[in-house]
Amino acid sequence: MSSEAKFNFVKLWAWLSAMFIFPLIWVGGLVTTHDAGMAVPDWPGTYGYNLFLYPISTWLYGPFDLLIEHGHRLLGSWVGLLVIFLCISAWATEARRWYRWACLGLLAAVIAQGLLGGFRVVLDERTIAMAHGCGGPLVFAYASFLAFASSSDWKHAWPSIAPKGLWRLSWVLLGATVTQLVLGAQLRHALPSTTPVGFMSMVHLHLTFAGVVTAAILGVWFLVRRNPYSTEPRLKVPANALAGLLVVQLALGIGTWMANYALPWSETAPSLARYVISAKGYWESMLVTAHQATGSLLIAFSTWLICRVGRRQISLAQNPNSFTIPQNASIVGTARETQTTVGQPVSAV
Amino acid sequence: MNRSAVARLSAAWLSSFVGLSLLVGCGPSKLQYRPNDLHAASLTREGSDQDPRSVAKKASELVEQWFGTLDDPKWPGKELGADLEAVRMDSVSRCAGPVGRGVDKVERGVFRKHCVSCHGLTGDGLGAAAMLVEPYPRDFRRGTFKFKSTPVGKKPTRQDIHRTLYEGIPGTAMPSFRAIDESKEFAHDIDDLVEYVRFLAIRGEVERRAMAAYVREGVELDPNSGRLKELLNQVVQKWAASESDAIEIPEPPAYISSAASTSFDSVSASRDLAVGTDGLDTDGLDNGQHVELIKKGQSLFESELTACVKCHGKTGTGDGASQDYDEWTKDWTILAGIDPKHSKDWKEMKPFGALKPVLAKPRNFHWGAYHGGKSPSEIFKRIVLGIEGTPMPPVARAQNGNPGLSDEELWELVYYVMHLEERS
Repeated sequence: MSSEAKFNFVKLWAWLSAMFIFPLIWVGGLVTTHDAGMAVPDWPGTYGYNLFLYPISTWLYGPFDLLIEHGHRLLGSWVGLLVIFLCISAWATEARRWYRWACLGLLAAVIAQGLLGGFRVVLDERTIAMAHGCGGPLVFAYASFLAFASSSDWKHAWPSIAPKGLWRLSWVLLGATVTQLVLGAQLRHALPSTTPVGFMSMVHLHLTFAGVVTAAILGVWFLVRRNPYSTEPRLKVPANALAGLLVVQLALGIGTWMANYALPWSETAPSLARYVISAKGYWESMLVTAHQATGSLLIAFSTWLICRVGRRQISLAQNPNSFTIPQNASIVGTARETQTTVGQPVSAV
Repeated sequence: MNRSAVARLSAAWLSSFVGLSLLVGCGPSKLQYRPNDLHAASLTREGSDQDPRSVAKKASELVEQWFGTLDDPKWPGKELGADLEAVRMDSVSRCAGPVGRGVDKVERGVFRKHCVSCHGLTGDGLGAAAMLVEPYPRDFRRGTFKFKSTPVGKKPTRQDIHRTLYEGIPGTAMPSFRAIDESKEFAHDIDDLVEYVRFLAIRGEVERRAMAAYVREGVELDPNSGRLKELLNQVVQKWAASESDAIEIPEPPAYISSAASTSFDSVSASRDLAVGTDGLDTDGLDNGQHVELIKKGQSLFESELTACVKCHGKTGTGDGASQDYDEWTKDWTILAGIDPKHSKDWKEMKPFGALKPVLAKPRNFHWGAYHGGKSPSEIFKRIVLGIEGTPMPPVARAQNGNPGLSDEELWELVYYVMHLEERS
C-alpha cells in the first residue's frame, strides 16, 4: 500500500487542533467580555475540585461567569489533548523532521498559554490576562499553519508564478493583523488605571491599523486577480476568504463601538438616539466577542495565504525552469494530473 | 525543505510575543483613589501659591483615613455625630476591590466589572474610555446627579440611581443593566452599585469640601479637625435625608396615561395618534380635545414663564439660541476664571485631568429619546425639578401660594412634549 493510501492521522489531528482552538478563543473572548477571568478563584483546580471532576450540574447550572470560565479551562484541556495526539502521530509517521519539531513547538505554545491563563488567576493580574488574550490567536495561527502544512496543497505544490509583491504583501498583512490583535487586546483588557489619553491613543492606533489591514487585504485581493495569477484558484480562495472576513470584521468593529460607547452622532437619527446599550446583553456580548474572534481568523487566514504563496515561491526557486502557468489555463484537478501535463511536482518538504 | 518559511513564521510569532511584552509592560500592582487634582487646581488658581497636586494629595490622604482604600473601604462612623445610614457598607464591600469570586463563590469587584472603564476607579468620570463617549461619564465627586426626584441642591434617592442603572440612558454610552438584574446570580448587582455610587459621591464631596476649607479657610487637613468633621456630617446628612426629600408626583390625567401607553410603545402607534383625522384619538380624546390640549401645551412651551424655547427651540428640536456648559465644566472653567471657549485657556487645566469643554445639548424632543426616562411622570419631574448640573432649570410650580404653573398646566406641557415625538 502506498503511503498516500494510508489514513493521514497527522492531518486529522492538525486540523482538529486548529478547529478546536477557534471555539476556545471564542469562549476565552466571552470570558473577557463578561470579565469572568476570576470567576473561579483557584487554579489548576476549580473551587478545590480537580478540573475534570468539578460537578457538572454545579458547572452548568451555576453562575454564567463560572460556566464560561470553567468551560474555557475544559476546552483548553481538550485542545492540549488533541495537540498531544498530533505530536504522537507526527513523531510516529511524519517524514518531515521540521514538522515533527513544529508539532512539539505547538504543544509548548499550548502549555505556555495554559500556564499564562493559570498565572492570571493565581496572581489575579489583568496584565497577564492581556498577554493570554494575545497569545491565543497566535497559537491558533500556529496550529492553522501546521494544518495547512499537512494538506495536499503544501505537499504537492506545483511550481507556478508566485508574485513577489503578493509574497511581501502577505507578510505585511500578517504583521498588521497581529499588531491589530495586540492593540485590540490593549483595549479589551484596559487596566482600571489606564488614562483616557492613553486609551484614546490606543483607539487611534487600532483604527489606523484597521486601515492598514484593509489596504493590505484589498491589495492581496487585486493582486491575485491580475494575470497570470487570476487562473490560480488556490491563491484566489484565501484572498476571497480574507476579503469576506474583512467585510464582516469591519461591520463587527462598528457594532463593537456601538455596543461599548454608542455612536458619537447618535442625535442624528431617532433609532440611534433611542438605542440603549444593554450591559452584558446577549447581542452586545456576541458582537464584541465575534469581533475579537474574527480578528483571530484574519491572522489564521493570513497565515493560510502565506503558506499557499510561499509554497509556490519555494517551488519556483527549486525548479526555476519547470514551467509557468499559461494564461487562461485553469489549474484544477489533482497535483498528479498537473504533473503529467505541465511540469514536475515538488516533493513534500 | 522550506526552512526559510518556517524560520520566518517562527520569527514573526516570536517578535509578536516580544512586542506584546513591551507593549503590555508592567502595570501598577496597587491601585489607589486618584486625588482630585482638577478641583485643587481650580481652587488654587487665583490668590493661592499652593501646589495643587500637593493640596489634592493631602485631601486624598485625609479621606483615605475616613473612607478607606479602593480594596478595603470603610465608613467614618466614629467621626459622625449621629448614626447616619447613608450607605450600606456590605454592598459597598461587594462592589469594591478587584473583579472575581471568592472561594465562597460570592461575587466582588462589581464596580470595576461594570463601571470603571468610563467612571474611573475613583468615580471621577476619568475612566479609560472617558474621551470616547458623549456626554462625558459622570463625575460622582461633585455629589450632583441629573435625573432624580428631589429638588435642586438635594441628593438623589436610591430609586433615582437605580432607575438610571436599570433603564440606561438612550443614545449614550450609559448602558441598561436590566439584563443583569434579570439574571438570578447577579440580581443584587444594581442595588449594590447604587450604594457604591452613593459611597463614592460622599467620599468625593467630602474630599472637595475639605480641600476648599484648606485653601480658603486655612483649615488643616487633620482628621481630628472639628471643622472637617462638621463638613463630613453635613455631606452625610444630606445623603441620609435623600429619601425624604423626594417630591410627590400627582396622578397624571387619564389622557396622559393613555397617550403614554399607546404612543410610547411603538413609533407606528405614535404616528397614528399624530394623524388624528378620524375624530377620536387612541388616547381617548376626540380631535377637538386633542388639538385644544396641544394648543395649551404649545403656548406654555413658548411662554416666558417656562422659557423652553430658549434652549429647545420653537419646534422642540434642541436648536434654541441659548447655549451653555454644564456645572461639571463650569466648576473648573468659569468659576476658576477660565474661558472654556478658548482652548489656550482651558488646556492649562489639562494636566490636572480636564477634558475638552463640551456644550450641553438641549434635548431634541422629536426623537423621543429622553435621557432621564420617557414615562410621563419622569418628564413631569424634569420640568418641575430641572436637571441639576445642567442649564435645564426647574419650572416654577404653583404651590403653597407661590406663583407658577398648576399641575394641570404641567401635565399639558408634558402632553405637548410627548406630542412632539409623535409629530416627528
